[in-house]
Amino acid sequence: MKKKLSVLLVVLFVCTLAFSALGCTPKEKALEPGSNGEILLATTTSTQDSGLLEVILPDFEAQTGIAVKVIAVGTGKAMEMGKAGEADVLLVHARSQEDQFITDGYGVQRFDVMYNDFVVLGPKEDPAKVKTSAAADAAKAFAAIAAVPSTFVSRDDKSGTHTKELAIWKAANITPDGDWYLKTGTGMGETLTLTNEKLGYTLADRATYANMKDTMANLEIVCEGDQILNNPYGVIAVSPSINDQINADGAQAFVTWIISPETQKLIGSYEVNGDPLFIPNAVKK
Amino acid sequence: MDYILNGFVEAFRLIFSFDPEIIQIVLLSLFVSFSATLYGTLIGVPLGIALGIHHFRGKKVVSRFLYTFMSFPPVIIGLFTALFLARSGPFGQFQLMYTPTAMIIAQTILVTPVIMGIVFNHASTSGYEVVQTGKTLGARRWDILILLVLELKAVIMIALVTGFGRAISEVGAVMIVGGNIRGFTRVMTTFIAMNNNMGQYSVSIAMGLILMSISFFTNSLLYHFILGDQNEYRD
Amino acid sequence: MNIETSHIKKIYKEKTVLSLDGQFSDLQFESGKIHGIIGPNGSGKTTLMKIIAGLIAPSSGAVLYNGQPLCQDIFSEMTYSTHTPTLFSRSVYQNIAYPLKIRKQEKNAIDQTVSQLLEEFEIDDIKDQSARHLSGGESQKIALARALSFSPKALFLDEPTANIDPKSIQIIEAALQKRNREQGLTIIIITHNLSQAFRICNHLTFLDQGSCLFSDTPEKIMTTSHSTIDEFISFNRF
Repeated sequence: MKKKLSVLLVVLFVCTLAFSALGCTPKEKALEPGSNGEILLATTTSTQDSGLLEVILPDFEAQTGIAVKVIAVGTGKAMEMGKAGEADVLLVHARSQEDQFITDGYGVQRFDVMYNDFVVLGPKEDPAKVKTSAAADAAKAFAAIAAVPSTFVSRDDKSGTHTKELAIWKAANITPDGDWYLKTGTGMGETLTLTNEKLGYTLADRATYANMKDTMANLEIVCEGDQILNNPYGVIAVSPSINDQINADGAQAFVTWIISPETQKLIGSYEVNGDPLFIPNAVKK
Repeated sequence: MDYILNGFVEAFRLIFSFDPEIIQIVLLSLFVSFSATLYGTLIGVPLGIALGIHHFRGKKVVSRFLYTFMSFPPVIIGLFTALFLARSGPFGQFQLMYTPTAMIIAQTILVTPVIMGIVFNHASTSGYEVVQTGKTLGARRWDILILLVLELKAVIMIALVTGFGRAISEVGAVMIVGGNIRGFTRVMTTFIAMNNNMGQYSVSIAMGLILMSISFFTNSLLYHFILGDQNEYRD
Repeated sequence: MNIETSHIKKIYKEKTVLSLDGQFSDLQFESGKIHGIIGPNGSGKTTLMKIIAGLIAPSSGAVLYNGQPLCQDIFSEMTYSTHTPTLFSRSVYQNIAYPLKIRKQEKNAIDQTVSQLLEEFEIDDIKDQSARHLSGGESQKIALARALSFSPKALFLDEPTANIDPKSIQIIEAALQKRNREQGLTIIIITHNLSQAFRICNHLTFLDQGSCLFSDTPEKIMTTSHSTIDEFISFNRF
């Protein structure tokens, strides 16, 4: 018994040692990340799920030595985190909320970063006949879905996607309500999985859809290209006056970096299955 | 059905490729939960014994609270810990949110009542008798303490292993205070939850298999200690 | 060890469990004798024993040991064993050696004492087995051997031979009588076994419903005319 106990303890001890050795970072970098501190970047789940950040952030960390901790939550929570000073910089896509954020004094300044677009997804059978009647008109597509009514899955989480969805319903003059209108309250990926299971319709950002296409055999794009479906991203450094722990310098460095021409080029070159997901549009200084 | 089978195949492939990111996630999980169990033991065992062997007024109330906290939902513990550790919270200046330290804190809060409750329960029954018997044989304070710990040895191990099991398999607390940040606070459970959300089943299953093996291993230990108690003698 | 009690009362949860007054307000447990405490269930025997063994405090009244009140030194010369003893989860040998180990005796001395006890109680064959999960008779013998190992001056036993085999009873009684005879060990024993009481006790105390009805030699109890005692004896004697 004593022997087995010692073996167990040794195993566990070795594990923790091994962790400390391996633990700090899985990536090799020019500058030791975190050597110049760290910033908390609050962004949306769809941004993280697109895979863009994993590709471009190492560049920032190598240049500045600042480690970026990415907290991926819904836009609503990201904005709340900004207001409370729990994050240092925001990267979100909900223009009206962003503008309000600046007006209310929570952020230093808002900059354009990039945009992608939303698409309306639906089952291949397309019971609401969106493909034939409203392939490039989002409001009309939504109206067609509500008319049947076909199952529509909403994220219902104050995210950028949800905000856009509500704007489209408004444009169609419809208040969606009833058993056909499902509210998940969750991220884009989970919502898509559910929509796939239920053979319903939903609004998604193109990036997440592109990444998940393989696991969603039942869905396809039924409506795209409408102006209203454009999805612009903004970056905002949180106002340092909110509390003492905000890394204002780090946040500024991040903003400067992400709108720099080099990074913009990097963003534009990010592709999934051959398609660029984001179009950089930071104003050139 | 296909994708489930594919998932398992992919999973085995992934496990045996020894992907450094997966290894790091597993080690972080073990580190966090093991640390939490360690602190939980250091706090919970002496307290559980001390409260268990004495008869005092309000003991029934204490035990009721203890047993309630033993099954407290991890997500609520995460929520309350986050409130304290957030920048705008009382401990904001330590910048603990989204760090492994915060995760250890939350899991320690989760695990301590579990360990304490199990030890308290046994100390109240057999522990009390051991103390009485020890006294009648002439044992003084220090002798009694040693005697108790030795007699409750198996119970303490059971409490420890149970606590660890609870820590390693919870997702609510570590998700909220850790944030599932890649390279910093991503652990097995948050990894599984996230990948499941993204529809990436094969990695979820892979990690799930690893988590289950660890669970199985610790439960086997538990089983061994319970059985061992019946046949064991020392020389 | 001479033990005297004076006006002992014990109230538990507003119920008077034990009240020694009147003719038997002062009880004497003389040194070097084997004292039996008998009586029906719930009469307060265990309460009385625990009080004089120093394990619980009386609600009122006093107990003197060789004229002194209880202190740690006196307490460490007494020991107590019940019908369901708590044996430690270690070997039989280690259980018996425990009191000697904590008194920091030398290994050889311990070995000698324990071996003698193992032989006397005829449990030498199980000396390396775990003391848990043994039969009633074996457990009792081990508990008693353990209690006697450090040669206490007073031994308190609460039904030590209840529900165990006759051979073990014999061994235990022989061990008790031997020590009483050779070392003057004062023994106070609660028993439901009247034959045992008459067999080994020099002195009997009879309790009924918290009061003492008799405290004298066994011969005298046969001639005393108290209805409760008569009933009890005729009912339990065979």
